[in-house]
Amino acid sequence: MSRKSGASAIQRPARRGRLRDLRRLLAYTLKRLLALFVTVLVGVYLTIVIANMGGQVDELRRVQIRSEAAEAVRADPAFQDMPAEERNALIERQVALEVERLRLDEPFAVRSVDYLQQAMRLDLGRAEQMHSDRGSRAVYDIIVERLPATLLLFGTANLLVFFTSVFVALWLSRRYGSALDRSVVALAPTSAAPGWFYGIFLILVFAFVTPLLPPGGMVAVPPPEASWEYAASVARHMLLPVAAMFLSQIFISIYSWRTFFLIHSSEDYVEMARAKGLPSHTIERRYILRPTLSPIVTSFLLMLIGLWSGAIILEQVFNWPGLGSLLFRAIGYRDTPVIIGAVVIFAYLLAATVFVLDILYALLDPRVRLEGGPS
Amino acid sequence: MSAATLLHVEDLVLHYRTRQGTVRAVDGVSFDVRRGEALVVLGESGCGKSSLAKALMRLLPRNVARTGGRVRLGDLDATALSDERFRREVQWTRLALVMQASMNALNPVVRVGEQVAEPLRVQRRWSRRRALARAAEVFELVGVATDFLARYPFELSGGMRQRAVLAMALVAEPELVILDEPTSALDVLTQASIMNALKRIKRELGTSFILITHDVATSSELADRVALMYAGQLVEVADAGRFFAAPAHPYSQMLMASVPRLHQRARPEAIPGQPPSLFEPPAGCRYAERCPYRFARCAEHPPAFALGERHRARCWLHADDGEAGGAP
Repeated sequence: MSRKSGASAIQRPARRGRLRDLRRLLAYTLKRLLALFVTVLVGVYLTIVIANMGGQVDELRRVQIRSEAAEAVRADPAFQDMPAEERNALIERQVALEVERLRLDEPFAVRSVDYLQQAMRLDLGRAEQMHSDRGSRAVYDIIVERLPATLLLFGTANLLVFFTSVFVALWLSRRYGSALDRSVVALAPTSAAPGWFYGIFLILVFAFVTPLLPPGGMVAVPPPEASWEYAASVARHMLLPVAAMFLSQIFISIYSWRTFFLIHSSEDYVEMARAKGLPSHTIERRYILRPTLSPIVTSFLLMLIGLWSGAIILEQVFNWPGLGSLLFRAIGYRDTPVIIGAVVIFAYLLAATVFVLDILYALLDPRVRLEGGPS
Repeated sequence: MSAATLLHVEDLVLHYRTRQGTVRAVDGVSFDVRRGEALVVLGESGCGKSSLAKALMRLLPRNVARTGGRVRLGDLDATALSDERFRREVQWTRLALVMQASMNALNPVVRVGEQVAEPLRVQRRWSRRRALARAAEVFELVGVATDFLARYPFELSGGMRQRAVLAMALVAEPELVILDEPTSALDVLTQASIMNALKRIKRELGTSFILITHDVATSSELADRVALMYAGQLVEVADAGRFFAAPAHPYSQMLMASVPRLHQRARPEAIPGQPPSLFEPPAGCRYAERCPYRFARCAEHPPAFALGERHRARCWLHADDGEAGGAP
C-alpha cells in the first residue's frame, strides 16, 4: 500500500468514528439531563418536608403568630381601654388573617407542593426572622449578600490547595521513597486538625503576640475609600484564614494525590510508554494525567461547589461574614425559607456540576461515551 | 563477535532490593543474537525471563540493587550510553518490546492508531498523516484491518489488542523485537495465527526476535536458537534443532521430557522439586537439588562448557567433552 492511499484510508474511518461518537454523546446528554431534573426535584421536596418537620413547624408558627398578635394588641395604647372580650376577638381576627395570609389553614401536603413549585422556579420567598444587612427580607437578597465573601475566601484557599497539591504530588510521585516524599507522608496526619484549629494559633501568633495582621473581619473599619486600598485591606484580612485552611489541607491533599499518581504510573500502558522511549514529560501528560483526568476534574468541581456552604466554625473564628455563619443562624432561628433557599440553590449548583461532569466524562473517556450506546 | 551478530550480551546482571533481601533475578547472562535470527528464551515462572527483557530495555523498577554487564547492539555499545541517549537512539527505534500482559498495554483513552504512530511522531518528528499511514502499513502486516486504527483499545478483542501492540513494536522498523510471553493470555487459535504472523514478519523483514516464553511447543515454530534459563542464569544455549532433538543439560533433557507429544507413547514427566530461591541461590550448581545425575563436583558452581559451535551448557557432566567457555 502506498503512503498516500494509506493515509486517506485511515482518515475516513476516523471521521465516521467521530460522527458516531457525537450522536451517542447527544443521546447520553439528554438522558442525563432528565435524570438530574428528577434528582433535584426529589432533593428539594425532601428538604421542604424536613425543614418544615413534616408540617410540625406550622404548629410552632401558629403559636408564634398568636403570641405576637396578643403582644401587639396589648402593647398598643389605642386598645388599652377595650374590654377583654373585644380585645380577644380582635386578636383572634388578626391571627385568622395572618393564618390565611400564610395559608396555614390548608393541609401541609397541599402547600408543600406549592412550595416545591416556587422553589424550583427559584422564587425563594421572604425570610421569617432574618434580614440582610441592608434590611431586605427577601431570602434571595440575604443569601446573595453573603455569597461574595464566602466565594472569595474559600475559593482562594481551595484553588491554592488544589493546584499546589496536584502538581507537587505529580512531581513527588516520580521521587517515591525520597526524603521529601517520606516527610510529606509523615506530615499527612497534621490535616486531622481542622482549619479553624490552626486559625486560633495563627491569630494568637500573628495578630496578638506579633500584631502584624488583623485578627478577624473582612475589611478594616471604617472601610477605605479608594478601591485599591479596599482590596489591599481585604487581602490583608484574608491572609490568616487562607493560611489556616492551606495548612490544614495541604499535606493530606498532596499525600492522597501522590498515592493516586503512584498507582496510575504503574499501569502497564505507562510502562509501555517508557519502553517506547517517550520523554518523561510526554509520559506524564499523555499516559498519567490524561487517563486520570476524570477523577481529577471530578474532585476539582466538587471542591468548587463545596465552597457554597462555607465553613461555620472557621467563619466564626475569623469573624468572616460568609454563608456558613448565615446558615448556622438560620437553623437557630428555624427560619425555614432561608434554609430551604440555601439548599435549593445548592441542589441546583450540584445538579449543574454533575451535569457538567457527565459531559466532561464523556468527552474525556471514550469508554463512557461509547459503551452501550447505539452504534 | 562476528559481523552477523546483532545483539551481544555479556554477563548481564539485574538484582532487586526487597524487604526479604536481594533478589538475583538476572545473574550473569550472556548470549548473542544474529541478524534475522529468533532466539527463544525458555524458563519456568520466576526464573528471571521478564527481568532479562527489562534489563535489555533499561526498564528498571525503583528497587534496583545492582545492574551490570555489557550490551552491544550492532556497532553500538549500548551500555556506554546515558539513559537519555539510550532513550533517543535505541529504545523503540532499534530495540522494541512487546510486554507481558499487553492486554492493558494500550492507553485506554487514546485511539489505537495514534498510539501505534506515536513513536514515529515523537522520536522521528514525522507528521501525523505520515505516521498514521505507516501505522496502517504495520496493521496490515500483522493482520488487522486498518478500520481499527480509529478505534479505542476497549473496542478491540484480546487478540486484536495483542496484534496492535505487535504492530506498535514494528512501526519504527527496529532491528530487534523482544516479545515477552506475547501469546500466553490468548486462545490456541489466536496464538497460532500470531505465531504465523511473526514467522512471516521474520521472513519478510528480516527482523530479529527474542521470544521469552515458558511454552516449549509454541516457541519451537519460530525458534532458530534456544536459551534455557534457570534461577537467573542460562543453563544451555543451542541451535533450536539441536536443543529440541538432543539437549545437553540435564534440566533441558527433563524439560523436553515434560512436554506432551502427539505421536509418542511416552508420558510427559514432571520435574520433581522447586527451583531454588533467588534470594540466596545455592553456591554450587543451581539445578543440583533436582538433578538425577548429581555428583560431588556439583557443589562447585559450573562454568558454561562449549560443546561445539554456538552450543554451550552449564553442567559438570560436560567438563570432559567441552572446554570451559565462560558463561553461556
